[in-house]
Amino acid sequence: MTELSVDSRELEGIVLLYPRGFINAHTVRLFEGEIQKALDQGQYRIVVSGAGLKYIASAGLGALMGVIEEVRTNGGDIRLADLNETVRNIFDILGFNHLYRIFPSEVEAILSFRGGGEAGSPPA
Amino acid sequence: MSASRPALVLRVPSRTEYLAAIRDVTRRMAEAAGFDAAQADQLALAVDEASTNVIEHAYRGAPDRLIELRFDDRGGELCVEVADDGEAVDPREVPQVDLRRYASERRTGGLGMHLMGRIMDSVTFRKNARGNVCCMVKRKPLRREASR
Repeated sequence: MTELSVDSRELEGIVLLYPRGFINAHTVRLFEGEIQKALDQGQYRIVVSGAGLKYIASAGLGALMGVIEEVRTNGGDIRLADLNETVRNIFDILGFNHLYRIFPSEVEAILSFRGGGEAGSPPA
Repeated sequence: MSASRPALVLRVPSRTEYLAAIRDVTRRMAEAAGFDAAQADQLALAVDEASTNVIEHAYRGAPDRLIELRFDDRGGELCVEVADDGEAVDPREVPQVDLRRYASERRTGGLGMHLMGRIMDSVTFRKNARGNVCCMVKRKPLRREASR
């Protein structure tokens, strides 16, 4: 059984990642690999579009934490969109909502990189 | 008020590919104990984290050991014990999570323990004949009285 797949595409200099399934200690390498691919190509504007993400454990949150400083140092950001209630609750429990901007939709997350769409949760 | 039920004991190989099964069983046990779907998902996450800690720290990635999970519906609360016979991990040595420092220092560890503590009402560690035991307890939500 495949527990996680991660599709990606690029739109106007923004890398969109689409994790589908579960991110935990078993699957996190795939998720990390897709983020790292973007960074290796010098792309630091990333949207994780979570409509297909059913569950994320601390391993997945650690993957985001491990690169966020590098991403922001290079003028980019990792923004999250379209998270289901379960995943959103996990972000809230850990206080990630204060560290990452979370948007109701992928479109709003993309627009936020253009200076518009201020509906996301800004880092405190 | 629901009565206590016999405990369910599950032994699982110390491989991350079994985390999905651990999560599924935990969710079902939580729902059977009276937690709603969202709470059951959170309990499953806490048990996933405890099991991951065993695999990564107590067994240091060795895939041929066993994790023993014990689900005990005590009536007013659900107790889940995660036991191993690997190296004892002192939870006091796990650093407190400070997210901003984590980001700046590129640290990723300790989040699992933090999540367990935020989700469960209590998380305690002890040693016994089974080895190291992480005991997590979640009180059940109060049932609404039937409408008059």
